[in-house]
This record gives sequence, structure tokens and C-alpha cells, in this order.
Amino acid sequence: MNDFVINIKKVMLVFLLLFIALISYITYIYMFNSEKAVSSTFNNRLWAERNKVLRGTIYDKDMNALTKSTKISVTSQKEKYLQGEIFAHAIGYMNPVYGLAGLEKKYDTELMGSGETVVSKFFDFNKKEEEKVGNGLRTTLDSKLQKKAYELLKGKRGAVVALNPKTGEILSMVSMPSYNPNNLEKDWKGILANKDLPLINRAVSGLYPPGSIFKTITAISALENIPGVSNRSFVDNGTLVFNQSSSLKNYDGEVMGNIDFRKAYLHSSNVVFGTLGIDLGNNALKETAEKFYFNKDTPASGITIENSQFPSYKSNEKGNIAQSAIGQAQVLASPMEMALVASTVANDGIMMQPMLVKEILSSKGKSLKKIEPKQLGENMSKENAQIMKDLMKGVVAEGTGANAAISGITVCGKTGTADHKGDASKQVAPHSWFIGFAPYENPTIAIAVIVEEGGVGGGIAAQITRELIKTYLQ
Amino acid sequence: MESIKEERKLLKYTYLLCIVLFVNMFFIGKDGFDKGALIMGVIICILFAYSHFIITRFFPDGDKYILLFSNVLAVIGMGILYRINSPIALKQLIWYTVGIAIFILVVVLFPSLTNFGKYKLVYMICTLILMSLGSLFGKEVFGAKNWISIGGFSFQPTEFGKLSLVAYLAASLQYYGKDIKEKSEFIKFKALIEPGIVVMISLGFMVYQRDLGSALLFFAISVTMLYIATSRFKYVIVCLVLFMVGGYISYKLFGHVRQRVLIWGDPWKYGYDEGLQLVQSLISIASGGLFGTGLGLGYPTMVPVVTSDFIFAAICEEMGLLTGFAMLILYFLLFYRCMRVPVYGKDKFTRLLAVGYSTMIAAQVLVIVGGVVGAIPLTGITLPLVSSGGSSMIITFFSLGILQKISEDGQSYE
Repeated sequence: MNDFVINIKKVMLVFLLLFIALISYITYIYMFNSEKAVSSTFNNRLWAERNKVLRGTIYDKDMNALTKSTKISVTSQKEKYLQGEIFAHAIGYMNPVYGLAGLEKKYDTELMGSGETVVSKFFDFNKKEEEKVGNGLRTTLDSKLQKKAYELLKGKRGAVVALNPKTGEILSMVSMPSYNPNNLEKDWKGILANKDLPLINRAVSGLYPPGSIFKTITAISALENIPGVSNRSFVDNGTLVFNQSSSLKNYDGEVMGNIDFRKAYLHSSNVVFGTLGIDLGNNALKETAEKFYFNKDTPASGITIENSQFPSYKSNEKGNIAQSAIGQAQVLASPMEMALVASTVANDGIMMQPMLVKEILSSKGKSLKKIEPKQLGENMSKENAQIMKDLMKGVVAEGTGANAAISGITVCGKTGTADHKGDASKQVAPHSWFIGFAPYENPTIAIAVIVEEGGVGGGIAAQITRELIKTYLQ
Repeated sequence: MESIKEERKLLKYTYLLCIVLFVNMFFIGKDGFDKGALIMGVIICILFAYSHFIITRFFPDGDKYILLFSNVLAVIGMGILYRINSPIALKQLIWYTVGIAIFILVVVLFPSLTNFGKYKLVYMICTLILMSLGSLFGKEVFGAKNWISIGGFSFQPTEFGKLSLVAYLAASLQYYGKDIKEKSEFIKFKALIEPGIVVMISLGFMVYQRDLGSALLFFAISVTMLYIATSRFKYVIVCLVLFMVGGYISYKLFGHVRQRVLIWGDPWKYGYDEGLQLVQSLISIASGGLFGTGLGLGYPTMVPVVTSDFIFAAICEEMGLLTGFAMLILYFLLFYRCMRVPVYGKDKFTRLLAVGYSTMIAAQVLVIVGGVVGAIPLTGITLPLVSSGGSSMIITFFSLGILQKISEDGQSYE
């Protein structure tokens, strides 16, 4: 009997030790592992906490909904992108697996925030709890224009940016190839494997050699820095020779003979603008380019613009300086930057900050905050802006941009045919560029179009611009 | 007198706990106030007031704390179940009622348990049948093949197998060492061969059914009973060695055993598939912290099978780690009260029976809580009295009833 009691005690002791060991182990993992556990990717609690608010809606400028959020479960809600691929780059995406991108990321706090106060909710516990809905965003996008731009670019690679020159509002922003933000899970592997990088928003992050559209900046620089340049006349014999090994030729080896400044711009003379570049010097031209936020962060609301680049050269690098004046060499620009150049000319030399969201609305549609247009600076005098407008009008009316002309609307623009270092093994077509605005008298839209390897700027890019202006103004 | 006072105090606190839990639930109802919570709280209070009344009034000689402790644990269980999923809690309430009824019936109706020591063969056959049922007719649930359904009513035969295994071991080991002088060491050892074989067969079935939790449990029960019956530590050592060898062989032989061990080694590596349960359980416990998020404010439903195997994680998340510790302490106290019972047992059979059932409950707690927090490889068994599930509730209350009965018998004769 005694033996038995002792045995019982021993067994109890063993179990006591086991319980103590278990409690100690739990204390140990709580002290040393809980942070790792809570912050691990397997923890869905943060998503669930977010999910208490139904994400707000994103609208176009006319208050048509572009997104629609629905709750699926405690931890997830699905945001449906009503226009699919068309607005993919402009809006971005919200996906539980791939996170946030674009506008969805920039305005996440607003979209997930709701106007309700905590106190009023506390005293309201008798009432059935209303679904909390985040704030809405009214963007500056024009659905009709966006759809048209998407259609026109479909099957190509490139980008379209359309701005309101007076306010900087982004009317349209399309990048091709696009992706469908509704099917990210299914398509993700294919998207990543695609050589053409559909995830990249070419409109703001694509850096291309601008080619002849850059002559607009060179012309502005010349007007600002070289007195009387608009009346000067040049001899264009088809080639600008720097030394024995390098020279600059006109497109297709054209020889234009005796021409003035206006004609040189209209017909995009490389020889004349190369000469102007050398006359201006690298510093003066760079200064003008930097006024247009080359080499700098371009202030923007709702988007992030990749820095366009204008190189520095020593004064004896004549070849490079001349090349940079016609938008080649190491000059790189994003379509957004070039649209801003056109927009600045259209807005009498005043550059407006590009903006994608104009208003934040409560879930019930009440306006919470209006985002006002902002000036970035006066990049040229009003007189020079007028000269530039006339020059760009001339390009479409009698120069290289004839394809952009519309009867009844005076379109202004500049073509660009940019050589680029493609795959060295095969001959690649140049990028087709066009920047422009319309109507001449009172510009309401400024556009930049690039079609990668699309050939001459007066071709496909000018045609796309024409269609877009037609869609917007008619 | 002093003990009655203490008992009353404990009883009051249990009511208080129950009321606080369900009033809390009343306020956090999805659509305003949840009246169902209050009704359920009142029913639970009535139930344990009634059971306590019967036991203290008519059977005052038995242990008073066994029922009290089990009630506290059951209340916590039903509380968290109501928070997670109220229909499941309602079912649990029914099973709790059935459990309490069985407890009372065992105490009231069973004759003295000493006479039951004779039916060794019956227990053996029952054990073997119940153990094999799962292998023969079982369907797979969560990777284990230990559920069978008869007429739409599904249960785990091994749960009942536990009961008969303990009874068999008690009946078979009770004769060990009688008339010591006449028997040599070898003859005594021979008496252990038969129970040894039965236990091994049971363990084999468990491993085959992938019910590793039960296997571990059976082993713990058998070793404890063996030690109590023989007082020989070297048998325990031998068993441990055999278990390790068996464990190693099944590790090499069965993929599912290897997988469990791998997950236990580094659950985070398998966080999206095989390790999902454990990882979510660890996250759940960690996000509750010491004091918990408060009922209704955490996300315990993110843990798979949270109502049964992982209920401990849910309790830790919403009620805090401290409540988890308190429960473990409560389980140990329950075990302590249960282990006091065999001390007063009149014969070896009832003593061994009491040891077996006490060990069963305590070991089950250690195995499942250890698994849920990642201390040992995870095995799917229920947390007695707390996890949702009919078989578990019935088995536990039945064994507690037997313990109560033994304590009642032992005390009243002395």
C-alpha cells in the first residue's frame, strides 16, 4: 500500500514537471517567437483588419465608376476593375497576393479611410452595424479618350499621354502592352515572362530617345538664348560634318538648301538644329531641358514620373552636343515629360503639374477634398510661346506632321523619328513619336504619342494623335 | 466545514465566469444584442448547479472538486465555441448535458466497481474490435482514418477504445505480483506478455490509421499503469526504448509520420500547405498576447479545425495566454484530484482503473497542447472537456464518473 502511494506521488511529480515544461515552453515561444509569427506573411490578420472597410471606388472625370469592391470573406475583398486592361496602368491594382500598385497604392489611405468617427460608433451599438466604405477618388481621366487611345495602340508597343494644358489634368494615360488587373493570379506568370514587360507603365516610366520632338526644346532654348534666331537663315547641304569620322545627316539624306529657322523646324532639319545645338552649347540647352524637369524629379500628383535625362558634354564633344540637340545621343525622355513640353507651349509657356486625381469624395458622394491645379514655373516668355505655337501649327499644316491634320480644327504638333539601339543583330525600325496640342486658338488637349519601332513620326504616331484629338474635341 | 466553504466559493466563481463570458457574448452579437448567448449561459448555470446539487447532496463522500474543475473547463470551452460558431456551441451544450447525465448515472447506478475486474477477456475483445474498426471501415478526416459512421452518426471508435483499453489493462495487471514469494522474476514477467501484446497491437492499428495522437496517448497510459502495477522503473525504461525503436521504424516506414516530424522541425517552411495548421495556430497564440484580444476581437477562425484540435489557440488568442496557463493549471489540479482517488481505492483493479483514467485525461492535454504550440509533433486529438465533439465529451465524463464512483466507494467504506 505504501509502495503504491509513493508510486502515485512519483507519477504526479512526473506529470507536474511535464505541465511546467509545457507552460515554460509556451512562455518561451511567446517571448522570443511571437514577433516573427505575427509579422510573418502567413498572418492574414492585417488583411482582415484592413478588410473591415470596403475599399472606396475610383471614378473617371465624369463620375463613372472604374472599380467596384465586394467583400468575399473576412480576410479578403475583391476589387473588380470594370474597364479591365484599358485603365490598368492609370489605376494600378489592389491584390491580396501581389499587393498594391499605381493609384491604388498612392491613395491607399484615402481609399481605405472612412469619414466616420469612433465616438459616434461607440454610442451606436444598438443599431445594426453599417458596412464601412472607404472614400472615393475622382480622377481626371476621360473614359472615352482612354478607350480610344487603348484601341489605337492595341497590338503595338508604346504609350499615349493626354493632358489638359491649362490644369495639368491627365486626361488619358495608356501603356501597351497592358494586363488585366482582374486576372492577376491567373496571368501573373505570363505577365512576368513577357519580354515586353506589361507591368511597366511606359507613359511615365518608359525612357526613350525623343528624336526630333526634342527639337521643340532646342528651339525654345534658341529663342530664349540667341537673339534674332527666328529671322536667321541657314544653309543646309544635307550633312553637318564635325570631323573626319563623324557627321550628322538629315533624315533620308535630304538636302534643304537655304532655309530659315521656321522652315528648319517644320521640315525637321537635323543639320540646322545640330548647328543650333553647337551654337547654344551644352550648358544652355541643358538649362532649358532642366526647366522642363529633365534630370530632376517631376512634381506630380497621383503618379511617379521616371526622371528624363539630358547629358553633360565637354565643349569639344561637338558631335554629341549636336546629336543631343536633335534628341539623340544620350537624351532620354518619358512620354509624360514630352506631353508636358507640348502642354507648356500650349499654355503660353507656363508648365502645370500633372495630376491624376482631382477630388476625394466620401462614400456617400460628398466632396472631402479638392486638389487644385498647380503651376510648376514659366519656362519661356509668352512671346516665345506664341512663336512656338505658330511653328507647331506649321508642322501640321505644311511640314512633316500632315497626318495629324483635321479639317475644322487647327492641330499643332511636332514629329519625331528616334533611332535607338535595339537588338544589334537585326535592323530595327525607329520609334515613332508625336507631340501636339489642339485647337490652336485655345488649346484644351496636349498629347504625346510613342509607338515603339513604329517608323517615322509623321506616320503612325501622327495618325493616332489625330484620332485622339478628333475623339476629344468632336 | 472549511472545505465546503472553499467549494462554495469556487462554485460562485464558476457562475461568475459563465455569466461574464456569455454577457460579453451578448454584447458582441453580430446584429446588435445576442439573446441566445444569455439563454445559453443560464442553461449552463442551471446544469452545473443541478449536477453539483445531486453529487453533494446524495453522494457527499466522493471527491467534490472533480466535477467543479471539469465544469470550469467545460464553461470556457462552450464560451469560446459560442464565440467562434454558435451552432457548434449549441451542439456542445447538448453533449455537455449528455456528459453530465452520464456522469451522474455512473455514480448513481453503477454497483461497486470491484466486481468488474473479472471481465478481462471482454475488455480485451472490445479493445481489439474498437481499435480495428477505424482501419476496416474508417473514412479519412484530416489525414487520419479514425472516423466511422453508423446510420449518419459518426464517431471515433478509438475514443471508446481508450476506455476499454484502460479497463483491460487494469483487469490484467491487477494480478501482477500476487503471492510474490512463490513466483520467480520470470513468471512475474510472463504475466506482462499478454497485456504487452494487446497494447502493441493497439498501437500498431493507431499508427496504421495515422492517429498518432492516440498512439502516443495509449503509450503514456500503458506505461503509467505498468509502473503503478509493478513499481518497477526498469520496465518503464524498457518500454521507452521499445517505443523509440517502434517510433524510428514507423518514421522510416510511413510517409505521414516523417511529414509530421518535418513540419514540427520547421513549420514556417511548409506554412502554405502541410504546416498551415501549426503556423496559423502559432500566429494566433502570438497575436493574442498575455491578455488576449478580447472576445470577438481576434481572428481565431483563421486557424483550421479551431473548434476541436486547435481550440487552445483560439482561447489563447481571444482570452490571453494567461487564461491558457490557468487552464493548464486547472487540468493539473483535476489530474491531482483524480490521482488522489486510487489512494483510497479498495482493490487493485479499481486503483489501476482510476490511475488509467486520470492519466488518460492529463496525457491528452499534454499531447494536444504540446502539439498546438509546436513543442511536440502535432497529432490530432481533442482537448478533453473543451474541444467540440460528442465522443470526447462522453468519454471524458464517463471516466470522470468512474473516478467519482471509485472515490465515493473508497471513502464511504473507510
